[in-house]
Amino acid sequence: MTTATAVSAGPMEYLKTIGVTTNQSGRGFINPYDCAFTKDGRIMVLNHADAARTALIRIGVLNWDEEYLGEFSKGTGRGEGQWMLPISMTISADQRIHLTDEHLHRVTVFDTDGDFIRMWGEKGDGAGQLNGPAGVAVAADGTVYVAEQYNHRVQRFTSEGEPISHWGEQGEGPGQFNMPWGLTLDTAGNVYVADWRNDRVQKFTKDGQHLATYGSSGTGEGEFSRPSAVAVDSEGYIYVADWGNERVLLLDSDGKFVQSLRGQATLSKWAQDFMSVNPDEYNTRQIANLVPDLPDHLDTPYLISAQTEPYFWGPVSLRLDPEEKLFVVEANRHRIQVYQRRKD
Amino acid sequence: MSNADIALMAHLMRRAGFGASRDELEQLVDHGYENVVEDLLIPGNANVMPDDVIRRYHSEMAEMRELNSAGAYWMYRMVTTENQLEEKLALFWHGLFATGYSKLNQASALVNQINTFRRHSLGSFRTMLVELSKDPAMIIWLDNHDNHRDNINENYGRELLELFSMGVGNYTEDDIKECARAFTGWTLGNAEYMSTRASRDSIWPYSRINWHFNYRDYDHDDGEKTFLGHTGNFNGDDIIDIIVQQEATARFISTRLLQYFAADEVGDAAEAVINDMMASYFESKYEIRSVLRTLFNSDYFKSDDARFARVKGPVELVVGAVRMAGTYQEPTFGADQLARQSMYMGQGIFQPPSVEGWHEGAEWIDSGALVERVNFVGQELGDPDNPGVKAIIDRMARQSDGVLSPEEQVAGCADLIGPLELSELTATSIQEFASEQGPADLREGSRTEADDQRIANLLRLLTATREYQLA
Repeated sequence: MTTATAVSAGPMEYLKTIGVTTNQSGRGFINPYDCAFTKDGRIMVLNHADAARTALIRIGVLNWDEEYLGEFSKGTGRGEGQWMLPISMTISADQRIHLTDEHLHRVTVFDTDGDFIRMWGEKGDGAGQLNGPAGVAVAADGTVYVAEQYNHRVQRFTSEGEPISHWGEQGEGPGQFNMPWGLTLDTAGNVYVADWRNDRVQKFTKDGQHLATYGSSGTGEGEFSRPSAVAVDSEGYIYVADWGNERVLLLDSDGKFVQSLRGQATLSKWAQDFMSVNPDEYNTRQIANLVPDLPDHLDTPYLISAQTEPYFWGPVSLRLDPEEKLFVVEANRHRIQVYQRRKD
Repeated sequence: MSNADIALMAHLMRRAGFGASRDELEQLVDHGYENVVEDLLIPGNANVMPDDVIRRYHSEMAEMRELNSAGAYWMYRMVTTENQLEEKLALFWHGLFATGYSKLNQASALVNQINTFRRHSLGSFRTMLVELSKDPAMIIWLDNHDNHRDNINENYGRELLELFSMGVGNYTEDDIKECARAFTGWTLGNAEYMSTRASRDSIWPYSRINWHFNYRDYDHDDGEKTFLGHTGNFNGDDIIDIIVQQEATARFISTRLLQYFAADEVGDAAEAVINDMMASYFESKYEIRSVLRTLFNSDYFKSDDARFARVKGPVELVVGAVRMAGTYQEPTFGADQLARQSMYMGQGIFQPPSVEGWHEGAEWIDSGALVERVNFVGQELGDPDNPGVKAIIDRMARQSDGVLSPEEQVAGCADLIGPLELSELTATSIQEFASEQGPADLREGSRTEADDQRIANLLRLLTATREYQLA
């Protein structure tokens, strides 16, 4: 029988789970891919859906108390503010939502009411062009950073969308990438990239000088399998969504392993609402073992997570809110698990 | 290398796989027929489209909740695999042990079932039946989670004997009851919660939870049973031990394999091969690989009697066309269309019409299905921008002085898309069309998009022929 990976000891504390799955508009998530936070306490959740259900793509808006405040969408297509396969989202200091779309190969900017402001990008590998844009971050000065998965590079733009510079090419060496995904900035403006198919995180100066590489392929402490996202807190701790291993790793500012999280989701407020009006499901759930021993052939992190509801399944993004609570976005479970590092 | 060698290898690859390009066929002929059969039977690395790349692009295939996404996920594998027999056999088992989404509401359970088939496809039929009996999708499909020590449910026991191993007429109603008793306690983990969710089609609160097998000793009837003349305190695997020893089982599985891989109709010549396959079954202790080796190396399989003696099933038609066109080699927006197209043609992956599977052969063809078949395949092979089509046109340019008459175009296309031996009626019709189009100049420097399109138009037309629609 497969034994589930234990959660290692460390400073990370589980706070709660937000969300519930849905297959229609309104409260709930449908393949959430990212989240971001406004200054006034709203939580924006990017619902990616999929190519067969693009009508359900939207940004849902809620708050920490799990009140659903609404949602917005300009619909599917190539028009202003529309989307096809949105991947990543961040909110700049001036409260502008920046969103990448890997199918349209562009960045779109909205205000926090969902009104369209601007967009840029087209498919290509020249300056200002994009190919498979994924992670996005905005520096304090407004510079926009975009990771391009198929160009294997990071590109910088002005806040107006004018290209500034780019770095990287396909490869395994320092400064090279293989289908990068998530991207973030630390308080000093350094750039961290989840170098997805190289199973590592790379750190750069704001203009692309390579500073450090963290991790290598594997399942052990400090090793990664297809990391999808990275976040860095004010003390330099690095949080990595280890997508292929279906876990989250905490590293210190030197990249040294601190803790591994496998996930411990509980019923969210919305999930409790569902259970309260569906007693037959609730009653049978109560006698179920949601962390079961599994047959030997179900031995990959993916298969284990698919069978083990509290575990992370498809952690595609993680973000720190202004209080440095860690939001882990799970595309396959349509929810967000929230943790916080204990600062002793 | 003779045309006959190419034609024979093309026949093998259409049957043991989904077809091969001319470049591939030439390499395979060089390798030798029996060596190719061995390579098919002892597969290496499949080199399929990587799961991580699929799951990153296709959120729906990462979650594996939607029916057509799950079907397309499997079709990606069929389209890109280097182990074609592995997937062709998985499709065979899916048709034989037909399990459908409609009752499960759990696409991932069906994907996992196919993984189980793939793991055991060429091995012992005993192992396959044991694993089938433990398969969560099958357990829900045929209600074995409702088969209890004090209240048996015969569904699985009945179909195990009738549809999965021996065939009707080789056992009694009492045997069915005793078989069902032996499989009491064979259920899935958290059966009550999972079956409630399945019946309600619930995705709440956090999407599907995959299923796994669980044996409940306390719910198993350990009493004495008499099955097919044997008496003992049989459990399910003891029952399967008895089943696989039966001549009826050897005949059943050999016949089904022959019909799937050789000919829809079983004639006298095929009967002799079935007897040889049954002998291989017992000599190898029920190994499917040995049974198929006997079939593929038989004179009957290689003979004209078996050539173009099957109607291509929708899935093999779609996959064969896509492989030849060279499309869907990487994650593609809207790939669920692959699964939808085969459904429109009458074979929805994971949607067999009943536990009996699909009615194959000529029943694949009706006027509606035929239009779908012709439209999809024509679209794939009628687009000169598709890499496989371009490769065919390039090869025709290399094989000639560059300027192809209408006659040469028809001959070249029929050769490279098959080779197909066109009937006189078919050849005349296509020739008329080719003559209207005129010659194609494929010489470097003078070759235009219109020249390429002429060739592609002929390929499109050929896909509508009876000859192409047969395997």
